Amino acid sequence: MTEAVLRLEGVTKRFGTVVAADSVDIEIGREFFSLLGPSGSGKTTMLRIIAGLEVPDLGNVRIEGRDVTRQPPYRRGVGMVFQDFLLFPHKTVAENIVFPLRMQGVPPAGRAEALGWITDLVHLKGLEGRFPHQLSGGQKQRVALARGLVSRPKLLLLDEPLANLDRELRKEMEVEIRRFQLELKIPFVYVTHNQEEALTMSDRMAIMRDGRILQVGGKLDLYHHPDLAFVAGFLGAPNVFEGKVTGLADGLAIIDWQGYPLQARAKGGLAVGQRAVCFVKSEKIELFAGTGQGRVDGVLRDAIFKGQYADYLVHLAGAREVTVSGPPRAELFAPGRPVSLSWSAEDGDAFPAGG
Amino acid sequence: MDVRTRRLLFLAAPGLAFLFVFLFLPLVSVVVYSFWRTASYEMIAEWNVDNYVTLLTEGTYLTFLWRSLVMATVVTAVSVVYAWPVAYLIAKHGGRYKLILVLLTAAPFLTGEILRITALQQILGPIGVINMGLTSFGIAPVEALMYSSTATGIGLSYLWMPFMVLAVYLSLLNFDFELMEVAKVNGARPLRAFIEIAWPLNRAGTAIGCVLVFIPTLGSSVTSQFLGGPNGALYGNILAHQFGATGTWALGSAMGVVLFGLSALLIALVVRVVGDFRRSGLTMSGR
Amino acid sequence: MRGTFSIQVQLLALLYLFLYAPIAYVIYVSFQKDSVWPFPPDFTLEHYADLLHLRDFHAALVNSLTIGIGTGLLSALLATIAAIGVLRYASRWRGLVAAAYLAPLFIAHLLIGIASLMFNKQLLGLPGNIGSAILANTTYATAFAFLVVLAQLAKHDWRLDEAAMVFGAPPLRAFWSVTLPLIWPSVLGAVIVSFLLAFNNLEVTFYQVGARPTLPTLAWGELRHGVSEELYALASLINAAIFLFLGALYVLLRTGALRLDYRD
Repeated sequence: MTEAVLRLEGVTKRFGTVVAADSVDIEIGREFFSLLGPSGSGKTTMLRIIAGLEVPDLGNVRIEGRDVTRQPPYRRGVGMVFQDFLLFPHKTVAENIVFPLRMQGVPPAGRAEALGWITDLVHLKGLEGRFPHQLSGGQKQRVALARGLVSRPKLLLLDEPLANLDRELRKEMEVEIRRFQLELKIPFVYVTHNQEEALTMSDRMAIMRDGRILQVGGKLDLYHHPDLAFVAGFLGAPNVFEGKVTGLADGLAIIDWQGYPLQARAKGGLAVGQRAVCFVKSEKIELFAGTGQGRVDGVLRDAIFKGQYADYLVHLAGAREVTVSGPPRAELFAPGRPVSLSWSAEDGDAFPAGG
Repeated sequence: MDVRTRRLLFLAAPGLAFLFVFLFLPLVSVVVYSFWRTASYEMIAEWNVDNYVTLLTEGTYLTFLWRSLVMATVVTAVSVVYAWPVAYLIAKHGGRYKLILVLLTAAPFLTGEILRITALQQILGPIGVINMGLTSFGIAPVEALMYSSTATGIGLSYLWMPFMVLAVYLSLLNFDFELMEVAKVNGARPLRAFIEIAWPLNRAGTAIGCVLVFIPTLGSSVTSQFLGGPNGALYGNILAHQFGATGTWALGSAMGVVLFGLSALLIALVVRVVGDFRRSGLTMSGR
Repeated sequence: MRGTFSIQVQLLALLYLFLYAPIAYVIYVSFQKDSVWPFPPDFTLEHYADLLHLRDFHAALVNSLTIGIGTGLLSALLATIAAIGVLRYASRWRGLVAAAYLAPLFIAHLLIGIASLMFNKQLLGLPGNIGSAILANTTYATAFAFLVVLAQLAKHDWRLDEAAMVFGAPPLRAFWSVTLPLIWPSVLGAVIVSFLLAFNNLEVTFYQVGARPTLPTLAWGELRHGVSEELYALASLINAAIFLFLGALYVLLRTGALRLDYRD
């Protein structure tokens, strides 16, 4: 991370009895930063506080070092892309895009130049005279992005901007939005509940729950080294095993599950005799035809072909079903077949149960 | 008080203050005056309940009140029965002409009440178009249409039916007509589908329509005066009379209080019967 | 199914006939020599010509217009700001505020008329005049205006001016350049509805204006000895004016010269 453009210090906000932000500290530089969390985790509130649409009860918001906590939104010089775009329906594409420049008092010539530049960047050439209701969903999205970026704001805030697009368009826009950030070097703060979007686009991300930041870090770090059970369970498609810790050595725990000694990295101060939950991501599990050799035995219930890979649904003891992702193998497309699973100890993460 | 409430009250305050001074206080003063006395066109502040005693003991007032209640009930019932299929038709099949079709039912409000009643009188009355037409063909005139309660009823339905159409229409705008298809696919005949689905989901809108028709009808005076004939006077006529020729304002106030009390009672009843307005089709959209 | 549909269509046609026959009759009679039994037709324009000389009518028209316009503007203003408050701010009080604004819908006009009369005369010692008529009419007209604005703006996205503020518009500028251009048609609708209600009102106005004529009180006075043909003529003219206005509005909307709704 380079020098911090945005700094949140102990930001707290309550709505009645709901704590939407609980002493949040974040620093964001010239990077693509995602706030990822389930709905109701307070991530949109966080964005609104940064934009100035909400004032925090406690704490400070600093943009480029200046305390803007009590500044109204129109003095902050940030850009924003809203969830349902919120294009002004009575203004044309061009009028929508140059709106921030007009508010800043940029003369017409400067506005025209900026309009030309941004419509080029976001591929909106030729649509300047249309009204929002004459645009497709993807085009509206581009207008919203153009309006957010046209004044080269100190920050661009994006509030679930892809939530209303269909899957294919979303894939395309993910790549585009990432490209804009890389080209313009403006910090992007991206709010989403969709981990795929966050993992695709971000440099760093923060996982939020109940108004609190649980873990911040690079996306690979978060994905591979979760500090908390919630983070481990939230990212990827993890399988969960719960059992008693029977041994601890070299940072690894041995968990007794249905008579199998499962190994995983011990986290959260795990102790022998304690109950633990163990998370293993589906792509980290190796699947073998046939049972035995100390691996976890099961029966293949179904194999789901996804093209580049396949999801195998395996029935284990105790009515447990796990998903294993791996290369499609013809001999495994045979429901009812006995199989066995294994993974290396470093690919499992064990946390105290109920934490 | 949170920010939202402060802002809401700030924006609502001018109108609330206005309604308080120019509607609420006058209504309170009516209640006060109803306990006063009138003598030779002057209000005298002697507190008494004689006005109410008069209303309750002199049979004529109760008779007129009863007559008005019956009239309002019949007019409301007729309006519901008539307005429903019409509003349903417009809302379901109106397509892009929906708004125009429904506004056309409201357009007669552009002409003043008096002129419309007069015109109606010209059509229904003894020398009206219908009866003169019948006579000229040698057919006996229809007595019921001339200066009678029937004529008043027709007049009142004429005046207030559009409110019912509008209320039911607005309710049906938020109604998902596919639910009717679902009911029919599941074996309900059209009437049954209506009873099970359309009616309960639009109860609130219909109830509001009923109130909007019932209350003006209960307090009406103009229509019956010109269409009702010598024996067709309603409660509103007698009430208006107290503020006209007889100048007995105190008694008139008491009559007004009774009228207001009945209206309030009706609204309380409707709220009670309809229950949860949200689930019965009334949506207060917005965030 | 076909059966019910055609019955519904017939009911609708009958309703239109029922609603418009008297109005058509008024217009018809305004062109007839004899208003009592205008058959067979004997067309004339003399009633319209007579209108030019009738000072009573001129005064009544001016008074009615004054009451209508005053009420229209005042009630639309009060109703619009309140409706914005109710729609925008999800406070626990919004239901109560809305109920207070809608309450006048459920009070008989006769009662509003006499209550205002007594309040003004007894308590404030004010004689009735056009001003008090505007105030009294504004009570119930505000309720109708509120209803119109509320229904029209229910789908308005109030976050649009949040968006404007984020992009640098101070609150008043945001209202002026984003909110107002989108809501003015609803406000205009509220003005028109309350204008028409007050313009045509008898039962409230009658008790406020004293001896000053308005069109409805004039008609009321004439009813006893039969409405004059000139009144029919005037009513027809007013009808024509209103329909022309609405028709023009419709044409502007259809041709796209004027836009009320930017949703698809």
